[in-house]
Amino acid sequence: MKILGKSRSVLFQSFLWIYFLISLYPLVYLLFFSLKNNDEIFYTNPLGFPMHLRFHNYVQAITQFDIARYFKNSLIVSVASIVFILAFSLMFAYAAARLEWRLKGATYSYLLLGLFIPTQVILIPLAVLMRDIGIANSYSALIVPYVAFNLSFSSLIFYGFFRTIPVEIEESAYMDGANIYRIFMQIMLPLVKPAVATVTIFAFLSVWNEFPLALILITDQAHKTLPTGLLSFSGQFSTEWGPMGAAMVLSSIPMIVLYLVLGDQVEKALTVGSAVKG
Amino acid sequence: MRNFKNNPVATSIFVLPAVLTFSMIVAYPLISTLLKSFYEWDGITAGTFIGFGNFSRLFKDDLFYTSLRNGFIFALILTVFQLGLGTVMALTILNGKTFGRNTLRRAYFIPVVLSVTVVCQLWLSMYNPEYGLFNKLFELLGISYRQDWLSSMSVTSIIAVTMVSSWQSMGYQMALIYAGAKSIPEHFYEAAKIDGATTFQTHMKITIPLLAETYKICLIFCINAGLNAFAHMQIMTKGGPGTSTYTLTYMMTRSAFRLDEYGYGCAIAVTLVLQCLLVTLIINKFIARERLTY
Repeated sequence: MKILGKSRSVLFQSFLWIYFLISLYPLVYLLFFSLKNNDEIFYTNPLGFPMHLRFHNYVQAITQFDIARYFKNSLIVSVASIVFILAFSLMFAYAAARLEWRLKGATYSYLLLGLFIPTQVILIPLAVLMRDIGIANSYSALIVPYVAFNLSFSSLIFYGFFRTIPVEIEESAYMDGANIYRIFMQIMLPLVKPAVATVTIFAFLSVWNEFPLALILITDQAHKTLPTGLLSFSGQFSTEWGPMGAAMVLSSIPMIVLYLVLGDQVEKALTVGSAVKG
Repeated sequence: MRNFKNNPVATSIFVLPAVLTFSMIVAYPLISTLLKSFYEWDGITAGTFIGFGNFSRLFKDDLFYTSLRNGFIFALILTVFQLGLGTVMALTILNGKTFGRNTLRRAYFIPVVLSVTVVCQLWLSMYNPEYGLFNKLFELLGISYRQDWLSSMSVTSIIAVTMVSSWQSMGYQMALIYAGAKSIPEHFYEAAKIDGATTFQTHMKITIPLLAETYKICLIFCINAGLNAFAHMQIMTKGGPGTSTYTLTYMMTRSAFRLDEYGYGCAIAVTLVLQCLLVTLIINKFIARERLTY
């Protein structure tokens, strides 16, 4: 019985490490071929470590193709989206959790409907709307929808947090002469910092990697973000794998670094997100 | 004393930005999709009302059934692959004796944070019939099993596309199951330990039933991801070869933005939502109707 248990656990162990390779080797393969030339990728050394490290592929990805510009666009869109997501949903959640006004419950439920609406359902009228109000092909064409789509989830998280803070804290601040804006900015905001971290990570990952809206709403090269920008050179580059690989590696670095540094927090932010949506 | 909370000006300042943005970008287009699904609409004019015309055309369209089939294949493979592997991985890693558990967890999760474009382009290069990793591996192992993975008209291409998505987000489902299993209190396992149950029995009888809520979320997630699949087709196959890897979302965007049949596209969107809602309702009804309490 004991031997059986042991051999079973060895079997499981090897299975886990085989899947470890399946999970990571494609990324290693990508890293390797980003440093090779076609000859090496196709014939002489398709699988192994590059024979000469051709960093020139990276120089090519940056200088000849627009990777730097896509990077900048992604950064602008992500940062602006996150700023507005945080501002709007923190204010809304505070009002919904703490202030007294009519239609509070109904408004809160209305905003939470967003959790159940898949993006593609509203894609067509949204594209028409963006064209009609004349902001298609600008940063706002992405920032505004990204903010709107992330409001429901963020408000839900912040609402939960605000509800747990004792009312006495606000009341004593009010007694000391603080007005509602100061209470919000200086007392309440510092108390919800952990939730801000969760929402920021979740929003950053979803905005940085967002694909369908970016594809439909941005058609001019100057405003493309990384996910759609990378797409536009697969055609140009189908003959040159090295620089294409380099561009893919460069565009993945921020996310991988973020995950390796923050680890559990990233997993938590993402899994909380889906638990809510389910 | 409490009247500082009843402040209409402050309330408006706090509430309006979120509500207005949401109404303009989510609520208004949603209603618009519903309405326009009854119109023949080119996206520029107001369109003409044609009742259920778009829907009756849709139900006669072969492409609709291909897309529907592919959506279900996608959902099925995602579910089996991710929940199956995810469960085994999560429960094994949960076991404190497993060697290198944190390394494994991190490695499984890394593909999740990558963008879908990078993942699809990477797999496109691996699937490449002449130079791709897969055929090179077969060559290296001396197996003459070369495949043109994405060019077959049969179900092979949709399966090849689905594997990309399965590979990318397996770690995500694993993280969900892992988080759920970790939160089960230790005392549930004590009796089992005293009775001498094996780890496998313990998981089958205690862990998995207690995870019903988590599995419900995972299942809804997998099925919706399958039915809504779009990016992979857009990047890897453009729906081809022929129309063999179409999905409903792909069909919808093609109708609207390539063929200028915006009304028809809206009808497809409505069908898609109804389908997702239906699946979610069914799952909610049959799984975890009552919370298990021990």
